[in-house]
Amino acid sequence: MPGRSKENPPCSETPRLTLVRTPASITGQGSRGQWSALMARAQDGDREAYRTLLTEVEPYVRSIAIKYLRSSSDLEDAVQDVLMTVHSIRQTYDPKRPFGPWLVAIAHRRIIDQLRRQTRRRSREIELSTEHETFAAPPAKLFGERSVEIALVGAIDKLPPDQRDAIRMMKLEEMSLKEASQASGRSISALKVATHRAIRNLRKLLKGELS
Amino acid sequence: MRKTSELIDTLVESATPVRRLAPPLWRTCIWLALAALILALLCVVHGVRPDLSMRLRQPVFVVSMFGALATAVLAALASFKLNLPESPRRWLLLPLPGFAVWVSTIGYGCLTDWVSMSPDGIRMGEAARCFATLLMTSVPLSVVMLIMLRYAAPLRPTMVSTVGGLAVAAMTSFALSLLHSLDATIMILIWNLGMAALIAGMASALGRPMLAWAAGRVMPLLPPQLSKPQ
Repeated sequence: MPGRSKENPPCSETPRLTLVRTPASITGQGSRGQWSALMARAQDGDREAYRTLLTEVEPYVRSIAIKYLRSSSDLEDAVQDVLMTVHSIRQTYDPKRPFGPWLVAIAHRRIIDQLRRQTRRRSREIELSTEHETFAAPPAKLFGERSVEIALVGAIDKLPPDQRDAIRMMKLEEMSLKEASQASGRSISALKVATHRAIRNLRKLLKGELS
Repeated sequence: MRKTSELIDTLVESATPVRRLAPPLWRTCIWLALAALILALLCVVHGVRPDLSMRLRQPVFVVSMFGALATAVLAALASFKLNLPESPRRWLLLPLPGFAVWVSTIGYGCLTDWVSMSPDGIRMGEAARCFATLLMTSVPLSVVMLIMLRYAAPLRPTMVSTVGGLAVAAMTSFALSLLHSLDATIMILIWNLGMAALIAGMASALGRPMLAWAAGRVMPLLPPQLSKPQ
C-alpha cells in the first residue's frame, strides 16, 4: 500500500513481516471470476482471452475427469471432448451467471456420456487376453487337430476288416480304385461299396464319440 | 490421438464472435408468440368451433383448455431452462401441475360423456380437417423448437426434447379444442392424449439425432477438422 509505506518507511536493519496477497489466478477462488470475464471476452471474439481461458480450464477439467477415468487415453479423450463441447455451446454462457457451475455441468455430462459409450462398447466387444491369443496361436490349434486325428484313427480301427482296408487304401493312402483293386484282389464295385459303408459308419462312430 | 494443446490452437483459430443466448423466459415468449400467430392464422382461415361461446360457459371445458395452455407454457419454459448446461434437473417438474389439470379434465370428460357418444360421433371429413390443423400447428412449432433447443445436443437431448415435445403437443391440443368440435370420448382421447404421447414420444426417441442434426445444419459449431459423429 503506497500510503502506508510513506507513513512507515521500511527500515533496512529491522526485519519486517509483510502480508502478500496471493494472485486470484492461483487461489482458484478468484480464477472462476476471471474465467467468467475471459469467456465474456471470448464470446465477443477476443482470441487471446479464449486461449488463456482454455489453457487455464484444461487442468481443472482434467482434475474432474481423473475421478472417473483411469486410462490416460480415455482421460485425454474426455478432456478434449469437454473442451470441444465448451467451444460448440459457448453461446449458452451468460456472463451474469457464475462460470464454474456452467463448466462443471458440461464436464460431468460429457464424462458420463463417455462412460456410457465405453460400457456399451465393452458389452459388445471382448478384449483379447493372453489366454485368447494362446488358443488362437497355431501350436495351440494343432492340439485340437491332433485330438480329431486320434479320434478318427480310433474309429477306423473299430470298422469291419473289409471296410477298414477299403478306407485305408482309398482315403489315407490315396490309392486309385484300380490300384486298390490290384492290391486287395477285390473288384472295383466291391471297393466302392465298402468305402461308402465305411464312411457312413465312421460318421456314426464319430458323432457318437463327440456327443 | 491429437494433443490437447493442438486442439486448443484449432479451437482458438476458429473462434469467431458469438451472440449470447437470450434468457429462457424471453425465448419462451418468442416461441409462444409464434404459436399465437399460427393459432390466429388458423382461426382466420378455418374459423373457431361453432359452439365455442357455449363451451366456454362449461367449467370443465375451460379448465381443460387452461390446463393444456398451462402445460404448453410451462413445458416450453422448462425445456428452454433445461437447455442451459447448469440448470438443475428439477425444472423437468415444472409442467407437471398444468399436465395434471389437463389430463384430469380429459378423464372427467370421458367418464361423464361416455354415454353421449353417438354412432355419427366420428366423421371422416371433420377428422381429416382436424389432422390438417394438427400438422399445421405441430410441425412449425416443432421445427422452431428444434432449432431453438439445438445447443442441448451434446448435453441432455432426450430430456430436453421430451419436454419440448410435450409443449408442442399441449399447444396442438389447445388449438384443436379451439377449432374443432370433436367431443366424442374416443376422439378426445386420440387427439389429446394420443397425439401428446405421439409427439412427446417421437421427440424423446429422435431427440438426440434431431438436435445434433439441427445443431450441425443451422450453425456448424465446431471447425470442420474437428467435426466427427458422436
